[in-house]
Amino acid sequence: MRAMYLANYFLSRCIAFSLLEWVASLHPIAFRAVLCLLAAIAIARGLSWLLDFSLSKLLKISVADLQALLIGGFAMLLIGLGVFLCT
Amino acid sequence: MHLKLFVLSASSVALWIAPLAALDKTLDIHKALQGLSLTAAIACAVTAGNIAREQAEQDEIEAMKAKAVKADVIDEISTSVYVSQQQRQQEAEQILNPREHLERALALTYEGEEESEPMVQNQLAEPEQNASENAESERAKRVLQLKERGWAKAKIIRNCSTPLTRGRDRH
Repeated sequence: MRAMYLANYFLSRCIAFSLLEWVASLHPIAFRAVLCLLAAIAIARGLSWLLDFSLSKLLKISVADLQALLIGGFAMLLIGLGVFLCT
Repeated sequence: MHLKLFVLSASSVALWIAPLAALDKTLDIHKALQGLSLTAAIACAVTAGNIAREQAEQDEIEAMKAKAVKADVIDEISTSVYVSQQQRQQEAEQILNPREHLERALALTYEGEEESEPMVQNQLAEPEQNASENAESERAKRVLQLKERGWAKAKIIRNCSTPLTRGRDRH
């Protein structure tokens, strides 16, 4: 049941990234806004990856959990974008 | 609940993939439908995730309850085993050591130490005194019997002091 719970949240985030791409496809300004948002997300992810030890102490989670969250977020982004662009 | 969960999960996947694959992205109406279906898919996935989380928490609570009940049962069994073992040990001690048990009982019976000590000693010494008195009276009877039969004094003394050699002296 815990696996179902995690899988459903993973799926919802994948669909959210697809929706973001759909918003980007509506208008060029929306596309730029989404690109800026994705760039900001990428920078934040890179900083989190570099400062994982201090961030894990700040968030009170283990470093392994933080890295798992970052990798999971990146996988969600890739799946969501891939599904929208390939269909 | 499980059926609802699976239906919501499946519908979220269908609402995510099917409109993107089937509808044309150049037509405005199709684009609007894709947006709606993606929004609905997110809603379905989040709802299914919430249901699954509640179910997982309930399962954890049930598991904790089962563990608590099991621990209670184990504790009760171990307590009863300990109590029965102690009872058996006490019974065995009573059977194996009656003198000590008597001493303890007598010590508990009499309150004052000064009064109880001599009384305990007296009560414990009574069987020994009775046994020695019985032996002496039997010995006196035996001496009288032998005198009646005409035995000599020295022979009687030797006979009474060494009862194991009695039969050999007669012959």
